[in-house]
Amino acid sequence: MNARSRTSPILALWMGATYLFLYAPILVLAVFSFNDSRLLAVWRGFTWAWYKAALSNPPMLDALRTSVLVAALTTLIATALGTSAALALERWRGRWRSLSEALFVLPIVVPEIVIGFASVAFFGWIGLRLGLLTVLIAHVAFSVSYVFFVVRARLATLDPRLEEAAMDLGADPWRVLWRITLPLLGPAIAASALLVFTLSLDDYVITSFVAGAGATTLPLRLYSMIKTGITPEVNAISTVLLVVTLALAAVAFRIEQRGMTRAHLVLVGLILLGLVGFAFGDLATSRPRATLNVLIWSNYISPRVVRAFEERTGIKVNIETYDSNEALLAKLHAGVVAYDLIVPSDYMVRILIRENLLQPLDLTRLPNLRHLDPSALGLPFDPTNTYSLPYTRGVTGIGYRRDKIAGPIQSWADLWDARWRERIVMLDDMREVFGVALKLLGYSLNSTDPQQLRQARDLLVRQKPLVRAYDSANFDQLLLSGEAWIAHAWDGQIIKARRENPNIEFVIPREGTTLIVDNLCIPRSAERPDLAHEFINFLMDPAVAAENMNEIMYLMPNRSAWPRLRPELQQHPIFSIPPDVLRRSEYLQDLGPTTVLYDRYWTEVKLAR
Amino acid sequence: MWETGAKRRLLLAPAFLWLLLFFLLPLGLIVVMSFAERGLYGGVRWTFGLQNYRRALEPLYLWVYGRSFALAAVTTGLCLVISYPVAYYIALRADPRWKHLLLVLSILPFWTSFLLRTYAWMFLLRVEGFVNTTLLALGVIERPISWLLYSNFAVVIGQVYGELPFMILPLYVALERLDVRVIEAAMDLGANRLQVFRRIVLPLTMPGIITGTVLVFIPSVGAFITPDMLGGAKSAMIGTVIQNQFVQRNHPMGSALSVLLIVVVLVLLLLASRAARFASRR
Repeated sequence: MNARSRTSPILALWMGATYLFLYAPILVLAVFSFNDSRLLAVWRGFTWAWYKAALSNPPMLDALRTSVLVAALTTLIATALGTSAALALERWRGRWRSLSEALFVLPIVVPEIVIGFASVAFFGWIGLRLGLLTVLIAHVAFSVSYVFFVVRARLATLDPRLEEAAMDLGADPWRVLWRITLPLLGPAIAASALLVFTLSLDDYVITSFVAGAGATTLPLRLYSMIKTGITPEVNAISTVLLVVTLALAAVAFRIEQRGMTRAHLVLVGLILLGLVGFAFGDLATSRPRATLNVLIWSNYISPRVVRAFEERTGIKVNIETYDSNEALLAKLHAGVVAYDLIVPSDYMVRILIRENLLQPLDLTRLPNLRHLDPSALGLPFDPTNTYSLPYTRGVTGIGYRRDKIAGPIQSWADLWDARWRERIVMLDDMREVFGVALKLLGYSLNSTDPQQLRQARDLLVRQKPLVRAYDSANFDQLLLSGEAWIAHAWDGQIIKARRENPNIEFVIPREGTTLIVDNLCIPRSAERPDLAHEFINFLMDPAVAAENMNEIMYLMPNRSAWPRLRPELQQHPIFSIPPDVLRRSEYLQDLGPTTVLYDRYWTEVKLAR
Repeated sequence: MWETGAKRRLLLAPAFLWLLLFFLLPLGLIVVMSFAERGLYGGVRWTFGLQNYRRALEPLYLWVYGRSFALAAVTTGLCLVISYPVAYYIALRADPRWKHLLLVLSILPFWTSFLLRTYAWMFLLRVEGFVNTTLLALGVIERPISWLLYSNFAVVIGQVYGELPFMILPLYVALERLDVRVIEAAMDLGANRLQVFRRIVLPLTMPGIITGTVLVFIPSVGAFITPDMLGGAKSAMIGTVIQNQFVQRNHPMGSALSVLLIVVVLVLLLLASRAARFASRR
């Protein structure tokens, strides 16, 4: 019987369907990277524009450089360590062997989230500064096992007589290793190196925990890009990466099939040289006078303003982003992080002061201070402005599509309207979401009363079936694309979205809301407080502030800049909050131990159906 | 060749120490921390007790674990069902010339970024995404289907898509090793296809099934990106809950949840390796 002769049509169909499943998403992604439309998945014509945008996006290229650098170093170290460990344990019986094997298995079986969490706790504990080094250490730690097991599997199939013969012929052990064992292991080592390179290049979860200043890798950048807006630019970058990885895989495949020839060695060498050249490329081209490391919310500073500052001073500004105050605190807590300027919100400023993580500002070096609105100074979280100056002020409210939702939206209760089932988006922010429920119940959004919190939880559980998604970064895009019609939202992004679609409205609900002030602060561990002061003063210049506001569409308390604002900002709802609504509005406060209770109820809301 | 212990130890030392220092020690730290207490404003108070574990074992968190294990089980099951025929075809039925190419093609998507593959599904499944727009244009549906994205359906699709290669590969290895003559002998002795599969192919490939199951199951339990991006952060999974402990600065609680997760995973692994040994001995 010939087993190959009969392939049932069902099996063939199954194969086809599986390969379609594997490739269709990638292909669609690639095709639409050429689509001449920002939001739609409908073909509107061919364009290279997204590639141009992606390839002239400096933060993107920086991230790619960082990723390649980290991946290359990780590959080098992990391959060397893993291979030598595999050699050491070959044909070695005894205690050490099983002990080591258990140790090498662990990184493969422990979930990534736990590795990331443990690593950052450990780095904080020993006081190691988060940055490229910590990323490298963690990457080697999780990838060395893969090398170990791949190489060892190959070692087990080697004929020991080859080595013995060489020894009998008088070669010393090192010579045998170099001339016999390693060449025989070549393909396995190359395969595991490639695997490590990909794992390192692609890692998001662990890296997101251990990355610090100057260590934003490509996956971190991509994640925040995806979170803050689906644009074909991401498609374009994906396609470029796809083609590069396909090329690498093709080379690897040929090496595996035909063995490593000299031509392949040259090819691999050239690729590596190109990568290293790219990774170090910007070091050779221009040496900036100094670098200022800024950690700020995503989309919270105009790239043009940053460029203007760089051109005027010759200082390179390195912008990195976070998406919650708690993530910022975690970064500062975890280790001594080398950021020079951070932008925490009101309540977080208070925590940072109390935790002794900020340094006093030298107000004499900030002459542009005089442009600030006095009502935004001396707020309760830092009454003397010793540590902080207001950057932006904002409110939480409701953004909605006038063309989809009839009738005026005035109340938080509209987020519970069953007519908008599956079209409601809430912020993925524990305190803000509970704030809405508490306000609706007539309580303070800083409530610590368990009874009130339980009521709020019940309200949110009831809302859950209506909610399309919890999203703190992308809510404006969801409104624009029609994915959502009504969104619990922060003001700036909604007002910005109005420029693209005038049917989008922003309202401050009558029950009162969260008032927000985000502040410019210098961490105690900053390396260049002098540059940070220079930058803060620059940002408070009226012309700069106006340009900045007109771009990010969040309002700054810079009175001298207000006359230069776009009309949309001149009519900002903040300027016209009715006094009674303002009276019912509050700043968030840190609630200390009650946070645990919030967290518990938040998990219950997330668990509810 | 490397008979002397000293040389061996020298070769082993770098990797061993690296893992000891930067992997085992951090794990030890969170084990210790899991018995500590959250400080008033975050941070850790080093007073020890079982309170975190008592909390972690409450029904609330058991449900979270349950959901995560259910997601992992469904993902693993689907991967197995999809992969087995594919691996079978590549290993035993495909033309030898195409064999390698088919295998490489099946694992190639793994070489692209997990984030981008997840993003691709967002792009496909949105209300105004590719699937809905295409179906609308073809007149198959009248209104866009909204449960495609931000649903359990989307999470499972994304997870299966991400982990599929890890199932295909070990199954292929196991099927490749299969001695075709055994099958032929069974058929000659009058066994039908189902009997051959149940009595011969399945038991002989059990080690591959178990390896694949482990490789898919573990990352799926701790899944963090898919529930967040494709699930719309709507459902609590153990990965997202641990992440939230970190964000809320409750490191001790996060540690306790992590330690429990590791313990459960290790127990399952132990069972799997027992099963594998049992299967291969038969």
